Amino acid sequence: MPQVTTERLKILRGKIYELMELYPSYQAALLPSFFVAEEIFGFISPEAIGEISNVTGVPAAEIRGVASFYAMYKTKPMGRHIIQLCTNVSCMIEGAYDLVEYLKEKYGLTPGGTTPDGRFSLVIMECIGACGTAPAMILDTDSYENLTKDRLDTLLESYK
Amino acid sequence: MDERIILRNTDDPLNASIAGYMAHGGYKALEQAVGELTPRDIIDEIKSSGLRGRGGAGFPTGMKWQFASLDPKFPKYLVCNADEGEPGTFKDRPILEHNPHLLIEGMIISAYALQSTRGYIYLRGEYPHAKRVLERAIEEALASGYLGNDILSKHFRFNLTVHSGAGAYICGEETALLDSLEGRRGLPRLKPPFPVNSGLWGKPTIVNNVETFANIPYIVSQGAKAYASIGVKDCPGPKLFSVSGRVNKPGVYELPMGISLREIIYTHCGGIKGGGSLKGVIPGGISTPIIAPENIDCPMDFVHLPKYGSMLGSGAVMVFDDTVCIVRVYERAMKFFEHESCGKCTPCREGTAWMRAILGRIERGDASERDLETLQDVAENVTGKTFCPLGDGAAGVLLAAMKTYREEFEYHIKNKRCKVQ
Amino acid sequence: MIKITIDGIEVQTDREITILEAAKQVGIEIPTLCTFKNLSPSGSCRMCLVEIERLSRPQTACTVKITDGMVVRTNSEAIMRARKAVLEFLLINHPLDCPVCDKAGECILQDLSAKYGAAAGRFKEGKRTNPVSFEDPVIVRDMQRCILCTRCVRTCDDLQGAFAISVINRGSHSLIEPFSGGRFDCEYCGNCLSACPVGAITSKLHRHTYRPWYIERQVETICGHCGVGCTLTLQMRENTIIRVIPDFEKGLNSGMLCVMGRFGYDYTEHEERLRSPLIRKDGELVPVSWEEAVEFTAWRLKELVKKYGGGAVAGIASGRCTNEDNYMLQKLIRYVLGSNNIDSAARLFYRPAVSYLERMFGQGITANLIPGIANSDGVFVAGGDPTTINPVLGIAVRSVWKKGGKVFVVGKSGGLRSNIKHELNHAEGAGALVLTWILAKVYEKKNFISENSIIDKKLSALKVPDMDMLVRVGVSPEALQYTADELVRLKNPVVIIGPETVLYGNGSKNLFLLGALNYVLNGRLFVLMDEPNTQGCLDMGCSPGVLVGGRPVELETFGHKMENTAGMKTPEGTGLNLFEMINGANSGSIKAMFVMGENPVFNIPDKKKVESALQKLEFLAVSDIFLTETASLADVVFPASAWSEKDGTYTNLERRLQRLRKGTMSSRGRADWKILADICKALGMKESYTDVKSVWDEISRISSVHSGVRYESLIGRGGIWPYGGEPLRGIEGDFEVEGLEDMPELPGFAQSGRVILKEDKSLIHSSSLSRYSPALMGVASEPLLMINPVTAQSLGLSDNERVVITSDKGTAVAILRADRGMPEGVAALSNTFKDNGFRSIVGYTIDPTLKSLNITDRVVTIERAKQL
Repeated sequence: MPQVTTERLKILRGKIYELMELYPSYQAALLPSFFVAEEIFGFISPEAIGEISNVTGVPAAEIRGVASFYAMYKTKPMGRHIIQLCTNVSCMIEGAYDLVEYLKEKYGLTPGGTTPDGRFSLVIMECIGACGTAPAMILDTDSYENLTKDRLDTLLESYK
Repeated sequence: MDERIILRNTDDPLNASIAGYMAHGGYKALEQAVGELTPRDIIDEIKSSGLRGRGGAGFPTGMKWQFASLDPKFPKYLVCNADEGEPGTFKDRPILEHNPHLLIEGMIISAYALQSTRGYIYLRGEYPHAKRVLERAIEEALASGYLGNDILSKHFRFNLTVHSGAGAYICGEETALLDSLEGRRGLPRLKPPFPVNSGLWGKPTIVNNVETFANIPYIVSQGAKAYASIGVKDCPGPKLFSVSGRVNKPGVYELPMGISLREIIYTHCGGIKGGGSLKGVIPGGISTPIIAPENIDCPMDFVHLPKYGSMLGSGAVMVFDDTVCIVRVYERAMKFFEHESCGKCTPCREGTAWMRAILGRIERGDASERDLETLQDVAENVTGKTFCPLGDGAAGVLLAAMKTYREEFEYHIKNKRCKVQ
Repeated sequence: MIKITIDGIEVQTDREITILEAAKQVGIEIPTLCTFKNLSPSGSCRMCLVEIERLSRPQTACTVKITDGMVVRTNSEAIMRARKAVLEFLLINHPLDCPVCDKAGECILQDLSAKYGAAAGRFKEGKRTNPVSFEDPVIVRDMQRCILCTRCVRTCDDLQGAFAISVINRGSHSLIEPFSGGRFDCEYCGNCLSACPVGAITSKLHRHTYRPWYIERQVETICGHCGVGCTLTLQMRENTIIRVIPDFEKGLNSGMLCVMGRFGYDYTEHEERLRSPLIRKDGELVPVSWEEAVEFTAWRLKELVKKYGGGAVAGIASGRCTNEDNYMLQKLIRYVLGSNNIDSAARLFYRPAVSYLERMFGQGITANLIPGIANSDGVFVAGGDPTTINPVLGIAVRSVWKKGGKVFVVGKSGGLRSNIKHELNHAEGAGALVLTWILAKVYEKKNFISENSIIDKKLSALKVPDMDMLVRVGVSPEALQYTADELVRLKNPVVIIGPETVLYGNGSKNLFLLGALNYVLNGRLFVLMDEPNTQGCLDMGCSPGVLVGGRPVELETFGHKMENTAGMKTPEGTGLNLFEMINGANSGSIKAMFVMGENPVFNIPDKKKVESALQKLEFLAVSDIFLTETASLADVVFPASAWSEKDGTYTNLERRLQRLRKGTMSSRGRADWKILADICKALGMKESYTDVKSVWDEISRISSVHSGVRYESLIGRGGIWPYGGEPLRGIEGDFEVEGLEDMPELPGFAQSGRVILKEDKSLIHSSSLSRYSPALMGVASEPLLMINPVTAQSLGLSDNERVVITSDKGTAVAILRADRGMPEGVAALSNTFKDNGFRSIVGYTIDPTLKSLNITDRVVTIERAKQL
């Protein structure tokens, strides 16, 4: 997990100022700022919330409220790579829950959990729009579809 | 020659770039619109084309535009709803990933018609690749003078930003989307006022679906008449159907409005996978009621489906064969609704969680006849009483499934196991 | 005219109201949970669903506006089922722990369940659990009981403007967080407590010790903490206040209270309350009877007046005491003992500020209504944070912003930081510089033609600093330009003046600049007032130059009126002010002093000097509720009644007269007016008073501004200025502005390692009184030193460290708290807690023009405290 340093907070601040240019209200920059904070700190850390609050003027309590509303934000520290596996209906009927079981057996990964070595976290997703090529997942920021246990194995191997 | 309108040239990998798109005649409609037509002309054309919004509600697009255009407040905002989160839906994805300039061109024409200077594409966070494609396409359009402060040297200004969602189905509801775009929790707003009068930051705002915008260049360049000749009366034009589940060739199909489910499944998608028998079809995404096999001749459009007790929704066709357990499908669906309920109103917040819990027990074989009654009653207590359509949809689809597949629910209760397997 | 039918009853109205409001007009009650007074409708609980003809879905009565011809049904079978369903949904995860819930008996969920709820449960799924939290100092939150109506969140955001809580998570996992516990922006106002319809937010005070039906009596009274004068209700059992609640129907505060008003009442029951009169015998204060204390005091005063003359006696009045108390003190000092030496702590800021502004524009220029602030389109604040000095006035300022109006703050923006567009925070001492520029710019832009030649002449004499100077004191040109541009556009502006305009020098110039700005803008003036009756204290003549009704003592006609109406002969001469009294005591010209409800040793700077001056007196009498630093030096101490124990009247900063009502019985203390009347009587006063009303009657006979105001009529608008008497308008004549034509100087900056100290007014505390409130001490128990983080770092100090602050006048200890709102090189310390506070370690001079406090010796060193 990247440490919180004044240098990193400064980078975040600069990015937020850029984002605020894109909207007529400062608050609108919140959602994109959260993604930036995750990039810099790995998750939306309390320090990042403080900085976002200072720059945008949005009260910290409200920032927490907003961030916690959206399922994809990392509001706590997570693994290096995030497996976002869909188990919604189309993926389910094509065997997504078998993959969930498999991840548990092979990697000790449970939904919402992280491997002991901090390499992977597993997040169960609601539909990710890959129903025609189910089951599917987003690994970090790349989509992988038509998954099987073997394919999952090979894919995870390439994420160290 | 590609006959398709919306998915046209999407097989060409270069189509996502502005050069490729222009090689296929892209941005001609925009030049025509800005060069020859007044904003009023375009709104009239869209009105007479009969185009209905492709997001799910099927509201006439021209009428929506007219409302916003009559509102004297400025600036006016243009928002593209690219938050297709409805399970089963992936129809906008090929546009976003392979035909981004068609969407952008459609939005620029719309902006010109509505005298809007600022646009946002609210893109679901689950589409990271589409985000990269769109951002590049916007840069290209900016560099080519189709976006920016002086578009085509006509003193027409329009800027466009991709705004990522972050995993909240409710933000597909347009007022929740607006709250989310403003940097808040994505809760649906009280209506009235409607977004056309008081949307983003209280200003007149048009929110249209990706597919809706993708229809605009064609209507402008080919005329409302040509457009209206496609599809059926009251529901003209092409429609994207994203087909998933137990068919041989799932995928996104561009077909005329009013095509029957049977044709989609058997003619275009190659029939049922593994040769099994059809058990049921969800025609428009998980929040549209399931249709039994005997009704699959129904025409797929906004007008006819309600007569079969369902809705066109997003056109996400989910096909279930006899290997699929309906109880399990609806338990999973309810888990989705529970997860996605924003929590604002009581019946949806509490009802979806309660229904999911009962469904879970039924699925596991841990329920009684009384539980089925309770489930029915809870669903009825949610229906028609929620703040927005989410909870209504959740209860409505369950009630429909319980009606059509009652024996399957009862089987679970009686035999403590699933009928399938 | 809109006509609709609800349950067959016709309702007619000419306003576009909601169905809920229309139904209420004809006595049809539609149950609601998420609707609440003063909050915009949410439509989320779904309890108020009704059927509307021709609509297929039921609609929420709280959100749907009526339209002509609408036919509504609120009692159909379907609606009854819907209500039952909503209640069932709310109860499935509710702990149903009513027997141990403090809300039981006044819980809307409980009441509605009794009325509409189901008879049996059918939820088998296991309840959701949510945390119960005790980490907040004044409230307990139990999210298991929460029904997510968001009334608390909307109150915090839309009314209080603190934005301290939010719904977090989503769907059935939603809960409200984080409230206080020192995190984020909680102001501990407890307005969420009034808003909560269930037991999710309950008070920590008296937890589990009462039920609503234990309340035996309730009394509507006025808050005794600050100059706003909020209406509140004391709820009592036996002789104890069980709680304080706001009244949504009455008072200027529309149901809002602040932390001091809602929770800070418990000092009245503090164990250190004085219970008996005390007389110093052999160096020790020992309990004596009331008769002995009164006789002794009368005898000593008489003796000393005989020996040294009336001019050797002085009285210090108090803005915490009622009008009647203050009236009686000035009667004792002026008319019984024959001295005009009477003053109060109003001398420190409020009195000079108000009288200077009245000198410019006439009596009552600051008498404007607080609720009216909300209708303003722009508020200009200088010299102090209204959200901490007068919190409920502060939230009116925030509401201006909420409605799209503009807020400008010169100096630290504090509690208004979310409501301003640009900071106008400046280097210490540069306030006049900034104000001069703004005034000059506005004057120029407005093209103002003055009808007041005196002000006009002074305006043209002003020397305007250039932008360069302003940048050097840390203000951005953009902020200044914006301020000037926007101020000129305002149609209905408000100017709010706080104590810092006077306390740290340039007093007359700052007041002139702000008064003139208000004049040019055609605005309304407010002067912040930290005690509940400072204005009343002045109106009662407790200021050396002013008689009852605010009439100047030098205008002889008023002296004659006193004599004619009441047979009282006004002594000659102007009398000494507070500082002159201290000097007099020091030099030996003042021999006796009566101090009522004031603690000059702690509240006047230079503690050592004040202490030694009072020690030199031949006789010092103090009436108070605690043995304060001052009372412990006295020869006789009278235990007074506390705020909740007495009747009388307060005059707030709007000059609104309001009635204080007795709730609890006094713990053997007596009302100050009564103590004083007994002493006067013992000294030969012929009038006698049966109760506080009889004192008021005398006031209304004598005072020109209060003439004819009946005690009983002081409710609602009855007490609004002008009371029906004659205010003194348009005193034509020049007034002095010190250094008018001088270019304001750039402030000298402290040497490195030294910091300039200011006074910090905490939101939580009400001067030195609230140190006796366990509730408020629970929120803030130690003095804090607020300091800019960069400055702290340069001193090698970090957050939460215990530090020693040393000046030429003394030392104080506090916990360091980094605060980005403080300018560099400046720190702020409160004046509340036992041991040395801000005023104990600074010195003062007297402003030559205003005769007000000018605090000096503010350069301090700050070091880490040695480990204990």
